[in-house]
Order: sequence, then C-alpha cells, then structure tokens
Amino acid sequence: MRKEIAVFNINDKSYEVILTPNVTLAELLREKLDLTGTKCACGAGECGSCTVLVNGQPTFSCSTLAIACKDKKILTIEGLAKNGELHPLQKAFVETGAIQCGFCTSGMIMMAKAFLDENPNPSRFEVKEGLSGNLCRCTGYVKIIDAVMVAAEMIREGGR
Amino acid sequence: MRSLKPFDYFEPATIKEATKLLSKYGGRAQILAGGVDLIPRMRKGKIKTDFLVNIQKIPELSYLSAGGRKGLKFGAMTSLHALELSQDIHKLYPVLHEAIHQIASVQAKCIGTAVGNLCVATPASDVATALMALGAELMIAGPRSPRIEPIEKFYVGYLKTSLRAGEMVTGVSLPSPVAGSGTGFFNLLRTKGDSAKVSVAVAITLKNGICQEAKISLGAVAPTIFRATKAETVLKGQKLSADLISKAADAAVKETQPITDVRSTAEYREVTTGILVARALGKAVERAKA
Repeated sequence: MRKEIAVFNINDKSYEVILTPNVTLAELLREKLDLTGTKCACGAGECGSCTVLVNGQPTFSCSTLAIACKDKKILTIEGLAKNGELHPLQKAFVETGAIQCGFCTSGMIMMAKAFLDENPNPSRFEVKEGLSGNLCRCTGYVKIIDAVMVAAEMIREGGR
Repeated sequence: MRSLKPFDYFEPATIKEATKLLSKYGGRAQILAGGVDLIPRMRKGKIKTDFLVNIQKIPELSYLSAGGRKGLKFGAMTSLHALELSQDIHKLYPVLHEAIHQIASVQAKCIGTAVGNLCVATPASDVATALMALGAELMIAGPRSPRIEPIEKFYVGYLKTSLRAGEMVTGVSLPSPVAGSGTGFFNLLRTKGDSAKVSVAVAITLKNGICQEAKISLGAVAPTIFRATKAETVLKGQKLSADLISKAADAAVKETQPITDVRSTAEYREVTTGILVARALGKAVERAKA
C-alpha cells in the first residue's frame, strides 16, 4: 500500500497530509487533523453521527475514503461558525435545548445544513424525513426538529 | 473503531481503464462507487480486497437522461438522491421514485448509487424490485464488447450476479412506459430504515379493461429478486377483476421460497406477499385507468 501526499480543502482551509488509501475521511479529520467535532459511533453508516458535507452533499465520513475526497470541498462542524459567530443552526440548537449528551449533535447539524440548503422552507414532516438518517440515543428528537424549524426561519430572515 | 485493512487503490479516468484493472486483478479487486455498503463490510472483514478500483472519477458514469420516447437511462455513478429528485422518474416511473423515497437514510441516498445497490445483489433491494417490474436492462462493460442484460438474468443466486471477470455495470436503461400502463410498489419493514422483509412491485398494461402485459417482481422472499411469471400468466389476456387479482396473488405466493430469519418468519412472508401483490395490482389498475 503506497503512501501519498494529498491536499484537502476542509472548511476553506488547505491541509497537506501524508496518508495511505485505507484511511477514512472520519479518521483523517479526527486523528490526523484533530478536527474532533465530527463524531464516530457505529462505523457502519447507520447512525449519521459522522455526517460531514462533501461538495455540499451529506456524507457518512466513516464510510468514505479520505483519498477519494482530495479534490472536493469538505465542510465539518468546525467550519460553520463565521468570525466567532455561531451558524443559525448552532444558535437554534443551543437556544432550543436540542442537545442532551451531544454525541449526535454535529452529525444532526451538518445533515440539517444540507437539508435546509435544499429545502429552506420545510414542514415538520419534511424535517423528520430529512433527518431520518441520524439517530439520537437520548431520543431528543422533538427538540432537534424544533431547532431545525427555528433555524430555517432565522436563515430565511437573513441570518445567513 | 477498527481501521480498514491495507489495499492498493486506483482511480481510473475511463471505463476502459477500469475494466482493464478489474480484468488484471480479478476476484481480488472490488469496485468502489458510493461505498455505503462496501466500506462498512470491508471494516467488518466480510469483504477482503487487495485492490480497490474507485470509479467516482469516471465522468461518463454520472448522468441521468430525460425520460423521452427512447426511455430513461442513468449511469453507474448516478446517486439515489439524484434519481429521487428527478421529475421525469416521479412522473413516468412512480414505483422507482417510491422505492427510493422510502429509504430512510438521506446520506446513504446522497452518496450511494442505484447501480451499487443493484450490484450488492441482496434479495431485499427495493430499488432492484422496482426496476425489475419496470423492465430495466443493465449496460455492462468488460474486456470484450459491451453487453446488455435484462435485470432478471443479472441475478443468478443469493448475492450473486452474472457479472464475469473484468466486467462492471456502467448504467441502467428503462423502456418508456406505454399507454394504458400502471405500476404499484409496496414493501414491509420492521421499522423505517430497515431492509425489507417483503418487497413487491408490479407493472401492468390495460386495453379496454383487458390485461395485455403484466410484470410482478418479488423481493426478499427467495434467494434472489425474481419475476412471478405464473402469477403474470394468470392475468394476461383477462379482464382484471378483484377475483382475478386475488387468484394472481395466490399464484405469486406459490412461487416464493421464503426463509425464516431475524426480520420475519417464512410463514409471515408468504401471507404478506399475497396481500402486497393484490394491493400493488390494485394500485397499478388505478394508475393505468388514470
């Protein structure tokens, strides 16, 4: 297995990394770059906690090879806040109390970001469908859905 | 979390390059499309691979043609989500839209491909069940000249396809729906997001109430997805009454070879196959008349 020097574009910053092809995107983020906001739970693409955006598409970073993402734009939870100000989704999760243990939160927020980018004015039912690939073991779903509805409104009113 | 075992990695730029690599490494190579199924199975050690051929960088595999008179075509790298969003598919092939839409995980649909789903060859694929009722054909490239395979012939056994050494599926084509045709899709799941315990898709063509053409495709009730041809024969040339639909449903049940597993008992699979076939035929008649 050959090692390779690859350049990654993560949260609009460029990272040069030496890696082997069997490194997953989640391993690259957490272990090589210390971007530990992305969480890994099931490792099998079932729970959604490792969700990041690759070229805008919500992606299981545990089931994606890092090397396959080297020409793509990667967005993680660390890239959402701008100039010290939280993203509306982050604000809404805090204000609504949509966080219990917090382990699913970054995956939920990244999935919600991709969902609202595609559907900025969703119904509650559409939010449920949009987040159906993300599990919350604390079962705090009601407040998570509340938070996404609040964030959608904040974004529509120009909060970014 | 366990890391992936080492492998050599390739990013071919053309189909020809990809099939060359697949021919060279044979059974020791795996194709990486979306990776939704492959990477977790590699991590669990269920798939061992020495060579990984990533087909994501092959531009000629990412397309979705308009569903005109020539039918509809999509490529091996076209994501399930792209198909789900297609208005042509929603309008012309509603059962394919339904089969994709009910898949719970949005991420799996955004990175996962329909062709990848087909090539896993699980008998529980709702997408494959829908595509079989729609008369899908697979476009296959390999060391020799490209070939076209009807989806029924693609599945030769449990998790087994007719792909030969060095071959890969490059895309899927669907015939354009004829006048008077209607389709229906129903499945049963333990919970949303689980694999189907029974999956049923049907397509019929009616002329003056008489059934001209019938396709009944059954998933998760045999080692492969298959067409219930005896049940189809019950319908062809006949007036589609409630009584005839129930006879066809009974015939379909007799063609199943269900097993008992973690998702369902064989008996339950049999009973519900009949119910879902009848329900899907009812829906197809309703759509054919609309």
